[in-house]
Amino acid sequence: MNSTQPVIVVEDISKTFRLPGAEPVHALRHLTNHVERGEVLVVIGPSGSGKSTFLRALNGLQPVDSGTITIDGVELTAPKANMDKLRQKVGMVFQHFNLFQHKTILENITLAQTVVLKRSKAEADEVGRKLLERVGIAEKADRYPSQLSGGQQQRVAIARSLAMNPAVMLFDEATSALDPETVGGVLELMGELAAEGMTMVVVTHEMGFAREAGDRMIFMDEGAIIEEGEPTEMFNNPRHERTREFLSQII
Amino acid sequence: MIDVIWATLPFLFVGLWMTFKISIVTIFFGSILGAAIGLLRTMNVLAVNLILGAYIHTLRGTPFLIHLYIVYFILPTTGISWLQLEAFPAAVIALSMYTSTYVAEIVRAAIQAVPRGQSEAARSVGMTALQAMWYVVLPQAAKLMIPPMGGIYVIIIKGTSIVSVIGIAELVRAGEHATQRHPRELMLIYGMVALMYFAYCYPVLRLARWAEGKFGTMDTTG
Repeated sequence: MNSTQPVIVVEDISKTFRLPGAEPVHALRHLTNHVERGEVLVVIGPSGSGKSTFLRALNGLQPVDSGTITIDGVELTAPKANMDKLRQKVGMVFQHFNLFQHKTILENITLAQTVVLKRSKAEADEVGRKLLERVGIAEKADRYPSQLSGGQQQRVAIARSLAMNPAVMLFDEATSALDPETVGGVLELMGELAAEGMTMVVVTHEMGFAREAGDRMIFMDEGAIIEEGEPTEMFNNPRHERTREFLSQII
Repeated sequence: MIDVIWATLPFLFVGLWMTFKISIVTIFFGSILGAAIGLLRTMNVLAVNLILGAYIHTLRGTPFLIHLYIVYFILPTTGISWLQLEAFPAAVIALSMYTSTYVAEIVRAAIQAVPRGQSEAARSVGMTALQAMWYVVLPQAAKLMIPPMGGIYVIIIKGTSIVSVIGIAELVRAGEHATQRHPRELMLIYGMVALMYFAYCYPVLRLARWAEGKFGTMDTTG
């Protein structure tokens, strides 16, 4: 793969949700954006602005109506795209963690390694324990998710994604369901990943994180990118009225 | 009284054995068929849902006795050779279909009760839809299925007594025969029959309870 080519190429994607008896919702309107290798893109916007839909489109959890999305040179909007293969390359961290409730912490990290990557159990265990060490909860390996705090669960979820050696990590409001005292640890981990050169797309309300770890920020509203820029610059001098309004509400 | 018990017991055991056979075979086929239908119903294919929905609602909305009559008395009148069923296979087919409708709804409801985030997380680490279902959703759904499944199995076991109307000598029928021989011991004989049902059903309920507790060590909340 050509390393100068953007890892994520989004060209003119649109998505409209049509539910019977309701007005159609234009979640994405002709959205175009590129994310370079190692770049951290922060996505902000009011709820319903389409930022989650955008994120979910990037790993195909949310199919789009039109436009193309290419990840690491593979077009996932192609009719014959192998989505399962592609999703291995795109890690996703959810607002509500979504750890496998019936599996131990270690098994949460080894399951996809053995099932998808066909690693041996011993190899998967080794990778799993290393990753748990790295996210700072090695001692909880044999516990079940419900026995961990939200922050710990989210760190496991990050480890679970990392086990697949993704080229890109997506974070969907990864800290908004957490107790305030556990937010810091998760943000710190995300910051470390960013510093190590992981390509990340982060939907968040954490403006501190956006300033420190974000290379670029987009503000979305009504399914479109309203404004784009360097995070600190955007915080200090939002050019667009709607951006200004939104930022004044959350800071 | 003791001699009546002694004289009757062997007959009742023969009846119990028949009840056991019919219920086990029925539960086996009914569960497999029901699980398949329940799974298919979660895949949201419109045509499939319509057909299977019609199957389920038709069978659940009509009396089992009618299903039994159709399979045993009416199908043979078509003259088609493979529809000329003996009493036992006729009873098993009618009961299995009936069982499958209840199992299907339990399976469907349990699968749909597993939060969507679970399969989304599984897909997000590269699992196929099938792998996500098998490794992530089904194990969690299974825990939710156990209590209602135990309940349905016990209802089916007791419900097998209806097949006595097509001449199968299961436990209730065996009890009836015994009362003809000892007409003054109705209370005793039906008491023994009831006890035998209880001795069969109670362990099933305990087993379901035990299984629930065993899988209960992992939490499916959240």
